[in-house]
Amino acid sequence: MSAPLLEVTDLRTHFLTRAGVAKAVDGVSFSLASGEILGLVGESGSGKSVTGFSLIGLVDPPGKIVGGSIRFAGRDLVGLPPEEMRALRGRRIAMVFQDPQATLNPVLTIGQQMALALQAHARVSDRAAAERAAAMLARVGIPEAATRLSNYPHEFSGGMRQRVAIAMALLNGPELIVADEPTTALDVSIQAQILAEMKALARESGTALIWISHDLATVSSLADRVLVMYAGRIVESGPVGEVLRAPRHPYTRGLLDSLPAMAEPGQRLRQIPGTAPSLLALSPGCPFAPRCPRADADCDAPPPRVEADGRLFLCHHPLEAAA
Amino acid sequence: MLGFVIQRLLQAALVMLAMSALVFVGVYAIGNPIDVLISPDATQDIRAEAIRRLGLDLPLWQQYLAFLGRLLRGDFGTSFVFGMPVLDLILSRLPATLELALAAVLIGTLVGVPLGVYAGYRPDSPVARAIMAVSVLGFSVPTFWVGLILILTFAVNLDWLPAGDRGPTVQVLGIGWSFLTLEGLSFLLLPALNLSLFKLAMMIRLSRAGTREAMLTDTVKFARAAGLKDRTILRRHVLRLISIPIVTVFGLELGSTLAFAVVTETIFSWPGVGKLIIDSITSLDRPVMVAYLVLVAFLFVTINLVVDLSYALLDPRLRRHGAAA
Repeated sequence: MSAPLLEVTDLRTHFLTRAGVAKAVDGVSFSLASGEILGLVGESGSGKSVTGFSLIGLVDPPGKIVGGSIRFAGRDLVGLPPEEMRALRGRRIAMVFQDPQATLNPVLTIGQQMALALQAHARVSDRAAAERAAAMLARVGIPEAATRLSNYPHEFSGGMRQRVAIAMALLNGPELIVADEPTTALDVSIQAQILAEMKALARESGTALIWISHDLATVSSLADRVLVMYAGRIVESGPVGEVLRAPRHPYTRGLLDSLPAMAEPGQRLRQIPGTAPSLLALSPGCPFAPRCPRADADCDAPPPRVEADGRLFLCHHPLEAAA
Repeated sequence: MLGFVIQRLLQAALVMLAMSALVFVGVYAIGNPIDVLISPDATQDIRAEAIRRLGLDLPLWQQYLAFLGRLLRGDFGTSFVFGMPVLDLILSRLPATLELALAAVLIGTLVGVPLGVYAGYRPDSPVARAIMAVSVLGFSVPTFWVGLILILTFAVNLDWLPAGDRGPTVQVLGIGWSFLTLEGLSFLLLPALNLSLFKLAMMIRLSRAGTREAMLTDTVKFARAAGLKDRTILRRHVLRLISIPIVTVFGLELGSTLAFAVVTETIFSWPGVGKLIIDSITSLDRPVMVAYLVLVAFLFVTINLVVDLSYALLDPRLRRHGAAA
């Protein structure tokens, strides 16, 4: 395999708050090949969104990348001058957000907003911009795309608005798209459609995709590989089928058990007891230990990193590998 | 949209009716106009004749209806002091105030909004702090004092600009305007600056607050993720997002400046309506006072209507589309 498109090594994004340092992302490493789809899964506050924003250099203060490197197409994005980072954003790395209602500007037509996204990176006449925008809208499945350019966001349904946002992300033909829970705000039926289309679009254009979600089910139908994050760290990763079939980390098991689709009918859904730990006061041991059914005194020490056959997990007492 | 306009016009008519009643009670029914109108040494017969001629012997409501009837015909009476129809008198002074007020509000907005947007974009920078210091001064230093200092500095000491009066005007559409010649502008500049200081301070605060809020929205974050330059984001996204409160305050400030530019007009001897009303209050020129108050109410009602209608231009969500998808 050639050099990966994206190689994140020991990424640390901390929030320097008055109450102390919140280690939102603490030593995350992973890599991604061109055209690969990676699922990034975790609870709220696990650091998955901050990881995504770190990649495009848009961590809100007081957040800051304090260590590690993000090599993208041979260049380290950490410490890149702001103007070079800006030129990269939207052109080579694009991002789609959770709530299209909030991301699109309500007082500009979508044609104007798409033209701005194009003109940020190249001299494009308004007319050429409109043509390219219309073509992209048609590609993401918006009917009568050319006439809808003069519409405002509120004139679209929720699903259509997210398609517009996806079209904007695809406009400049990026090599990587970071999608931060883009289907969470949508109806279940629309979710499935968007997932399928997103996968098809990524495959046909060879775009790599990082799909951030709290929903393992969504990721399982989309991703090639999955990373499970907990308290700012990756606790398990591997090919999506294997991880879901035979998780090795008790946290992944807990996430799977809490999926309604996995439960026996008539049984109560199992949930992971307790809540995610405060990122301000993490012990050196396994952060999941207080909630873990398998935890014992060993877990006060940092968990070992076990890597085999393309799979990785950090646990003192991993679950048995599938027979 | 048409229904909205009709509804607003009816509201406007009601406001005008209420205002006319207030003005009538305030100026005509309280006190005795006859004492002002005829000389104290007139005979009893002349006095009685004047009371009958002016309708002051009629019940209050009849007097009010007569007053209203005259108003509707555009008859505001005749000025005691100038001996000419009040409406003509005020209209001859209005352009001077209009261009002064407009110049002041425009300076305040065109300078204040960019400063405020910058202060909201980089709230912790030294430049932003300096801008905010200017706005605190603009709010807290009294207008008359600034006016005197401006005259002292630019007219007396530096001798760059005239200290007062309106200077030459150019006739357009039968009305004299100052802003069309360089010399006229030199007369306009100091009073306009003086008046604009408060508006500048207000516009800075308003656009700073709006910008700070807008910068935190996902809209701005998404525009950044698309690789837009910050300058483009401020100009194309943020400015549009904060435009509604700015237009609102622009309208209100224009109205209140037109009505209450009194202090500045007095300091700079600017021959506008503000100076006229102060003169007429001191000489108890009641018809002028009444006409002025009614016109001010009319002005505010009109400006508010225009501001409301402009919202629909600025925010597409307020427009009602016949065939929205």
